[in-house]
Amino acid sequence: MESVLTIGFNILSFSSIIVLVVLGLGVIASMMRIFNFAHGEFMLLGGYTTYLFYIWNMPIWLGILAAPFVVAFVGLILERTIIHRFYAAPIVAMLGTYAIGVMIRESVRGLIGGLYHQVPEPLVGFFVIGDISVSKWRAVVILVTILVVSGSYYLLKKTSFGLRIRAALENPELARVSGISTSQIYAATFSFGAGLAGLAGAMMVPLFTLYADMGVRFLIQGFLAVMLGGIGSFEGPVLGGAIIGVLTAGLPHLVNPVLADVLVFVIAIIAVKLKPAGLLSMRRELK
Amino acid sequence: MTDDTGRKTEVTRRHLLQTAMWTSAAVATGAGSWVIPARWASAADPIKVGIATDLTGPIGFAGNANANIAKLVVDDINDNGGILGRPLEIHIEDTASNESVAVGNVRKLIQRDRVDVVLGGITSSMRNAIKDVIVGRGRTLYIYPQLYEGRECTPYIFCTGPTPAQQCDELIPWLIQNGGKRFALPSANYVWPHVLNEYARKVIENSGGEVVLEEYYPLDQVEYSATVNKIMNENVDVVFNTVIPPGVGPFIKQLYEAGFQKRGGRLSCVYYDENTVSLNAAHEWEGLASCLDYFRVLTREGDDPFSAKLAAAYDERYSGSVLFTAGSAATGMYRGLKLWEAAVNEAGNVDRDDVAAALDHAKISEGPGGPAEMVPGKWHCRMNMYIAVAKAGQYEVISRSPMVDPKEC
Repeated sequence: MESVLTIGFNILSFSSIIVLVVLGLGVIASMMRIFNFAHGEFMLLGGYTTYLFYIWNMPIWLGILAAPFVVAFVGLILERTIIHRFYAAPIVAMLGTYAIGVMIRESVRGLIGGLYHQVPEPLVGFFVIGDISVSKWRAVVILVTILVVSGSYYLLKKTSFGLRIRAALENPELARVSGISTSQIYAATFSFGAGLAGLAGAMMVPLFTLYADMGVRFLIQGFLAVMLGGIGSFEGPVLGGAIIGVLTAGLPHLVNPVLADVLVFVIAIIAVKLKPAGLLSMRRELK
Repeated sequence: MTDDTGRKTEVTRRHLLQTAMWTSAAVATGAGSWVIPARWASAADPIKVGIATDLTGPIGFAGNANANIAKLVVDDINDNGGILGRPLEIHIEDTASNESVAVGNVRKLIQRDRVDVVLGGITSSMRNAIKDVIVGRGRTLYIYPQLYEGRECTPYIFCTGPTPAQQCDELIPWLIQNGGKRFALPSANYVWPHVLNEYARKVIENSGGEVVLEEYYPLDQVEYSATVNKIMNENVDVVFNTVIPPGVGPFIKQLYEAGFQKRGGRLSCVYYDENTVSLNAAHEWEGLASCLDYFRVLTREGDDPFSAKLAAAYDERYSGSVLFTAGSAATGMYRGLKLWEAAVNEAGNVDRDDVAAALDHAKISEGPGGPAEMVPGKWHCRMNMYIAVAKAGQYEVISRSPMVDPKEC
């Protein structure tokens, strides 16, 4: 029983991390039809920001709070200078964002001397409930993910800002005619997605290690999740992320880990084959 | 006129030409190639030492430590008159943590620079990728400096890092005494852990222990809750870890958070050195046992003055950079260069067969961690081995074994 609870908690916490990663990727992919290949490196920047606060002897939680804003600002500048030129050509956008990602990754690699660094959790250690021990920081990650997902949902679905974002996506011409500045909306959305990546990176860096390639693996899992969940809705990528997270953390309990790594992709590809538009695709896309 | 070392240069024009030559050579060869000639000229041609190591890419930190110590040793040899009266010229190529890039760059060392010896390569896959370029088609001597899984018994390839026998024979019985009999072998899925585990399993079973878990993970896996769960459920006493960065940091953290150490579990990792300890907080790797040919703590105790002097020279020249440690092949690089120096001195020339014959029984009386000697006919070397245990974020040496046999070939 204790074992089942421990396994459940660990799977839940890892799924939360993947959902957090996928959220920003999904927002940008769904709202703007851009696959942002620099997403992993935005996460890296979030982690790096936290690391800087740590080595400058400032409170780490402050770094984690600052990271999404720092990365959102970087995202904003990139959108205004480079990304906005790609909207007409999604393939070029993939290559362009990939190039931006490589530049960020190699710059950070230089800055951290190519080494691996640990960043301590703001809440160190674990608490014991009965016979199971629960990592404090993993519990915080789960809570933050729930808050951020519901906050983002509220922002995009219930506020007038969210309405304008969705309007700019559904019908850019009509939105512009109605007096909505689509270019400002796009800039804000991209910046918001980048900020979410920064937050994901900052939250996970105390659990994992800071290294230049940390974004790469999560980016691939993130894309898989977006494909699985379906582009175009808010819920799709979140559900996809949760499924990929459960599979990634759960399968190694059942089969050998190298096989599990491959199996996650096989299962996701079969699911995408059966439902090409994703599990929760928007209806209009199915027509 | 004097140059930057304060030594009088004999011919100003020659010095100028030489500087111009190597600057233009550096420009012509492009990024990733460095040529550093001796600071003095000689009537004799320089002896060319090729260093092929991972200056960039995921294991760039280890490669930079290798290049740093090579430059330090070569400068030291040159300051003492070179070898056979000839200066050493060091040619550095980046193997970039990427085998296909490496093969092209190592070919430059052999075909363009015509070096007399190549030292380097860190991972076994790198050694396997470049060894034929060097000793097969290249007909050049190759010295491989990293601790590794053994079984490299090719003529003209000399290995100067610890082998599985050197790392396991003393450590595993100690782990059984100071941990328990039930072992888990969580490992990264590549050649070194597979072959090392084969050896470790033999030693564990011969010493009365048993392996209850042996698992391999993708190299970039960072989530280990399933493994940690199995380790806790199987009542494992000793975790003999060969998971590598980036996975090792989160793995050790998750093991700590599951209460493995609190329950009395013993952690062990034979490559975990002072460059990798920054991966975990001190409380997470408390009690971790490692067995290596050198620990930095040896330089502080005052019982190994040579190691202390070497570490001080390294730290002064490369302060703020990657540390001089055993796990990243840097001690093997030192040993390799000095053993090769002794061999060339004995051979009296740089002919490959003559040097290899002398290197086969070469000895050095001092080095990081102590002396070293090649085992004749075995291409591997005897060296001192140390078991150290982590205490409050620092290693403490708890056992020393003098001149342990590599038991290879």
